[in-house]
Amino acid sequence: MIYLRLGLWLLRRERASGEWRVLLLALIIGVGSVSTTGFLGDRLKRAMSEQGASFLGADLLVTSPRPIETWPAPSVKNGKLKTSPLATSQALEFSSMVAKGDAFQLATLRAVDGAYPLRGSVRIADRPFAAGTPRPAQPPPGAIYVEPSLLPLLSASVGDRVQIGEAHFTIAGVVAEEPGQPGGVFGFAPRVLLRADEVEQTRVLQPGSRLTYLYQFAGAPDQLAAFSAALKLTLDSTQRLIGSREGVETLRGAFANADRYIQLTALISLLLSVAAIAIAAHHHALRHYDQAALLRCFGATTAQLRTLYAVQLLTLGLLGSLLGVAIGAVMQQALVGLILPDAATRLPSLGLAPVGVAVVSGLLALAGASLPALMRLIRVPPLRVLRRDLPPLPVAAWISAAVSGSALLALIAWYAGDAKLVGVFVGALAGLIGVLTLLARLALVAGRGVQRMAHGPLRFGLAQLLRHRFDSTLQLGAFTLALFLVALLALVRSDLIAGWRQQLPPQAPNYFLVNIAPHQQDAVAAYLSQHRLKASTLYPMVRGRLVTKNGTPIAETLPEDARDSNTLRRELNLTWTATLPANNAVLAGRWHGERSAAEISVESGMAERLNLAVGDQLAFQVGDQTLAARITSLRSVKWDSMQPNFFVIFAPGQLDALPASSIASVYVPPNAAGVLPGFVKTFPGITVLALDKLIANIEAVFTQIIGAIQLLLGFLLAAGMAVVIATLLASLDARQQEAVLLRTLGAQRAYLAKGLWSEFIALGLLAGLLASACAEIAMALIADRLFELPLRLHPWLWLALPLAGALLVGTSGWLTTRHITRVPPMQSIRALN
Amino acid sequence: MTPRDSAQFPAPQGDSDPLRAKAPVEPYAPAVIARALSQRVSTADGTLAILSEVELAVQAGETLAITGASGSGKSTLLGLLAGLDQPSAGEIVLLGQRLNDLDEDARARLRAGRVGFVFQSFQLLPALTALENILLPLELAGRADARERAAHWLDRVGLAARAGHTPRQLSGGEQQRVAIARAFATDPEIVFADEPTGNLDADTGARIIELLFELNASAHTTLILVTHDDALAARCRRRLHLVAGRAREVALA
Repeated sequence: MIYLRLGLWLLRRERASGEWRVLLLALIIGVGSVSTTGFLGDRLKRAMSEQGASFLGADLLVTSPRPIETWPAPSVKNGKLKTSPLATSQALEFSSMVAKGDAFQLATLRAVDGAYPLRGSVRIADRPFAAGTPRPAQPPPGAIYVEPSLLPLLSASVGDRVQIGEAHFTIAGVVAEEPGQPGGVFGFAPRVLLRADEVEQTRVLQPGSRLTYLYQFAGAPDQLAAFSAALKLTLDSTQRLIGSREGVETLRGAFANADRYIQLTALISLLLSVAAIAIAAHHHALRHYDQAALLRCFGATTAQLRTLYAVQLLTLGLLGSLLGVAIGAVMQQALVGLILPDAATRLPSLGLAPVGVAVVSGLLALAGASLPALMRLIRVPPLRVLRRDLPPLPVAAWISAAVSGSALLALIAWYAGDAKLVGVFVGALAGLIGVLTLLARLALVAGRGVQRMAHGPLRFGLAQLLRHRFDSTLQLGAFTLALFLVALLALVRSDLIAGWRQQLPPQAPNYFLVNIAPHQQDAVAAYLSQHRLKASTLYPMVRGRLVTKNGTPIAETLPEDARDSNTLRRELNLTWTATLPANNAVLAGRWHGERSAAEISVESGMAERLNLAVGDQLAFQVGDQTLAARITSLRSVKWDSMQPNFFVIFAPGQLDALPASSIASVYVPPNAAGVLPGFVKTFPGITVLALDKLIANIEAVFTQIIGAIQLLLGFLLAAGMAVVIATLLASLDARQQEAVLLRTLGAQRAYLAKGLWSEFIALGLLAGLLASACAEIAMALIADRLFELPLRLHPWLWLALPLAGALLVGTSGWLTTRHITRVPPMQSIRALN
Repeated sequence: MTPRDSAQFPAPQGDSDPLRAKAPVEPYAPAVIARALSQRVSTADGTLAILSEVELAVQAGETLAITGASGSGKSTLLGLLAGLDQPSAGEIVLLGQRLNDLDEDARARLRAGRVGFVFQSFQLLPALTALENILLPLELAGRADARERAAHWLDRVGLAARAGHTPRQLSGGEQQRVAIARAFATDPEIVFADEPTGNLDADTGARIIELLFELNASAHTTLILVTHDDALAARCRRRLHLVAGRAREVALA
């Protein structure tokens, strides 16, 4: 108890010590980094779901061919009646002719209420292809909003009056952006938004009209979960429940594991902080051997010393972790405000779980970094009070390694999640450390040559760098790592993301042509080639639902928790072809080719979700017919290829008896965009879909993720600076001794200052150069292996990184050591004694 | 050597102290006994004998100077007597406890509050003030009136005005005064001093010697000090001279 109090007392008295400060600083940086991601991960997941929700216009969407009269009763929880607090909106979708003068066009009309859409926003412009401004989706009375593609079809413009059924409306604007496409990306005609309360006066709706009722819901995740669970039990097979996630199915790959990788990036900052903490703790222990020996003289037992130092460590650990968490909370808020300004107010407030995770991470990191040093400290022999040179009894190396290793491994395992990722992470880290150490050593050897040629303070500074070789290697390694990762991310963003569009051309389609009737196929092909546009293969498309596997209803073949798969509920786009599509690869079985038999090829992800294998017999419901076929191959599909992609591909001839329209994708160069209105007018029934919007969405998601990672790399740089400061503090006594000697010998303060500056600037420049080299190599590998992009060098990198390194290392180094140039020699000699 | 009169040299104060109560109060008992004490260390050139067959008995309240040339084993002997190290051979009894039977932690517990130390290099904790440095062993011994006691002892060494100063702000002599106050503050039964004037100039050293013996006389503490300062050695009742690890008691005038 006394030692507990004493520990705190001594800690308070020593709070100004450099080692404690660096240790605390490093811990704050490390924990700040992981807690920023912890908080952010929490909210980013939600932000991604917001993005998904704005695709859909809601968190949940229910479509039904009939109005749904009864909804699940409010759930009874804890005996209290809980009314559903979900926001709701209703819309009705139907097809009708829209006419102006002699022109008429079939359009999809969506009658909306005032609440539509619940998520995301509708932008209305006053002319086609303008950006528009966010406005309520419900038009003013007597007005409609139309999709831009409708205007040329009707030779109309904004302000014109059109007729729908028996009613007349003014076109008040064009829809530049609108969430909510219930049928997926495919299969809709030019759309018109009108007021739900004005449907009646059109008198279009007759008994037997094909209608789709859209019910949108938005609210808190747990309420939505309870609601949708209850709702699922009441829906029949003609009704569909769509979660916001399903609204972004094509982006699913980009989301997978994003959170985990962001967390691992943050972990690197924490581990770099561990290096700084370990150095600071080691040096702290060195400086406290006398104190520990004295306390032993005064009668302290090993257990009591352990208590004393443990309480100090725990206090610092908690303090650093909590400050780190506070910084994390501020940083993530700043970040959310930066990249998701409109979502900031809708995101849930900070949870407590990330706080716990961050504090435990901080304590684990601190334990791993400092226990070996403190284990030595409590084993200091009391005789040291008489014989100052007596070192503490060495702690067996394996115990030290086991303590640190298990703490750090536990930390990594916690963040990486699965054993394979732990292995990859640890392996990559070890490899990186090995390479960086080697590079740093080589660079220092090269520096020796430079030093020989240098004069005056520069020579002195470089000599320092070379003399403290272990320290220099560590500083160089840490800073190179930080700069390298920062640069790599900048390159990934500039090269890969912005370059994505350039990567997709030359032939990447930017428009889909949907709903091409069989008799139009030749005409479409002729029209396109006449305008020198190149379309993809035409795929016939039939919509059908998967009903049985090997004679058993498909849902019954799946475990309970997998039965709500979206693939089961929705109609799949089925096609047939003899040639394997370009972005597909057969993973199992054999591609059916020209063979006309009841055979299908299934996308591998769908096969995995539904537990399908080659040889399974599937049956699809298409309209009132049933279509049976055996799986003869499983395919991988590159979903982001912007080509028409299909979950299920039949062998040739299998769909002939069914009413099929075709789909194709086409690349329209920007200068040929004028062809489209003509096309639309020539083929009024064919829907032209712009993919630019989809690409923009994918890019927005990438930009968000990368923005988050870049913030984390700020922590990484700070951690690198902490390593530099920690190693410098450890060498401060020796440096001061040298400075005193030099000053006694007549060196001026300016000489010492120049020496220090040259040392740190050289270190920073070197780190920048090494980081540039590493980044170029890594980028070349990524571009070549992953994206098959041509090799490109980045000259600006070789200028920016060394400059940044010189600035950051120079500043932190100078701030740490500058006072050794200011202390008068006499005072320093006394202090050293 | 004459046995002490118990009326003239009463048992140390603080018998009511729980820690102190455990100690056998035997005014005539030797404070330290060493029998056939040897210390050898292994070096690259073979075994080196630092101390050989040292015999010693110091009665409670006595003062003993251990003298000898550098490397004669003075500090090693002091460390062994104080229980800071284990001898290679021989037996030590400190304050009635046979040290050979005690492990490192048990020896530490024996020292707590009952043994004081004064060092050549002062060994004050740089982060603590003068007052706090004196407070430290009192806190460790669990004294209830620690703060008052520390203030009292700081006053005794004439540094009441410097209570809030850290060692860096004190001169060498002042630092050693604080160290002496720290050694006596717990009312120890025995104080070990290792070259207490070794880092001080002659005048300051002389004043420190005065202070040390004055406090020792009034506290009736056993004092064992290592020195090569003849003036200091002459103030002690007994003197043990070491030559190459072998001890010889020198008769004092």
